[in-house]
Amino acid sequence: MRLFQAIYGWFDRRYQVTPLIEKNVTHKRVPRTLGWAACFGGLSLLIFLVQVFTGMLLLMYYKPDPANAWDSVTFIKSNVSMGWLVQRIHTVSANLMIVMVLMHMARIAYYKVYRSPRELHWVSGVVLLMLTLVLAFTGYLLPWTQLSYWGAKVGTEIPGAIPVIGRDIVQWMRRGEAISGETLGFFFALHIWIIPATISAFMGMHFAMIRRTGISRPL
Amino acid sequence: MSSDKPCEKGNGRRGFCKACIGAMTAASTAMVGYPVVSFVISQPSRIGEDKPLEVPIDQLTLGQARYEQWRGLQVIILATADGPMVFSASCPHLGCAVGWDTADSVFRCPCHGAVFTAQGEVVSGPVSDSLKQIPFEIKDGKIIITA
Repeated sequence: MRLFQAIYGWFDRRYQVTPLIEKNVTHKRVPRTLGWAACFGGLSLLIFLVQVFTGMLLLMYYKPDPANAWDSVTFIKSNVSMGWLVQRIHTVSANLMIVMVLMHMARIAYYKVYRSPRELHWVSGVVLLMLTLVLAFTGYLLPWTQLSYWGAKVGTEIPGAIPVIGRDIVQWMRRGEAISGETLGFFFALHIWIIPATISAFMGMHFAMIRRTGISRPL
Repeated sequence: MSSDKPCEKGNGRRGFCKACIGAMTAASTAMVGYPVVSFVISQPSRIGEDKPLEVPIDQLTLGQARYEQWRGLQVIILATADGPMVFSASCPHLGCAVGWDTADSVFRCPCHGAVFTAQGEVVSGPVSDSLKQIPFEIKDGKIIITA
């Protein structure tokens, strides 16, 4: 404990960490009427961070090509120490993240928090919901199981109903006519870099907006 | 109120709470840390890694080499007029993977130019040991590497 305090003190004298923590965490005041339902946004972020971290771990062994994808996931689950846990946390948290995001939205909608001056909070939040769903959808294909394959097949078929440009969208999403190794590579790129980077940018905006306007006081 | 008085360090309610929070933090850290560390440092065995390597002899071409992976080693199976030979592809100099030069019938190391005969003996280069031979047996028309 002494050692920790000495190290912390060294940093604190140079960078004044304590006032920062007091202002933003320990002495931060939130409206008294704010209940536990206000936690879902933070929980969504927490689960996102869990996903990023477990995703990094899975990336140590996952191989994004049709010949090896299923084997590599099975390998993680059965041979890597604690791999079953990391893989399962990643899968279950994906579902939980969607649940948390929807609960967060339900609270915002119920208390009408989206009204002026917070309209853009809502808009950026809807973008975040979409990105979360894309993350879940692209991740679903990666283990290359029957469920993944047919899930991606059905999912990418949906835009085909759009007149005129529908088929082109389907082909663009699949990188070709059918679900193939090309699709897997594309979904992998979306899942581990493109969407997480985009979602982080939107989260940053979302949080900055809340800081700027302050949290809404329930009536 | 007595609780407004600053507490003695290490006792009283505040000390108890701090100790509890510390213990819970330590427990949570261990709970997350153990799986993560064990995941990261584990060197899991590949499925079927300890299976013997089997190569049918009729798939080999005289004077040509075949490259195989066996227990994380790259091995070269060479079909010579005297029968097959099996070598570790790792150059005894600094461990680069040597390749079989079919035109000149020698092994060449791409890193520092060592040259070995078809029997694995040194011809030239910065190396004194010959290529490591890997023992094998022939059964049912297959080369089987187990050891």
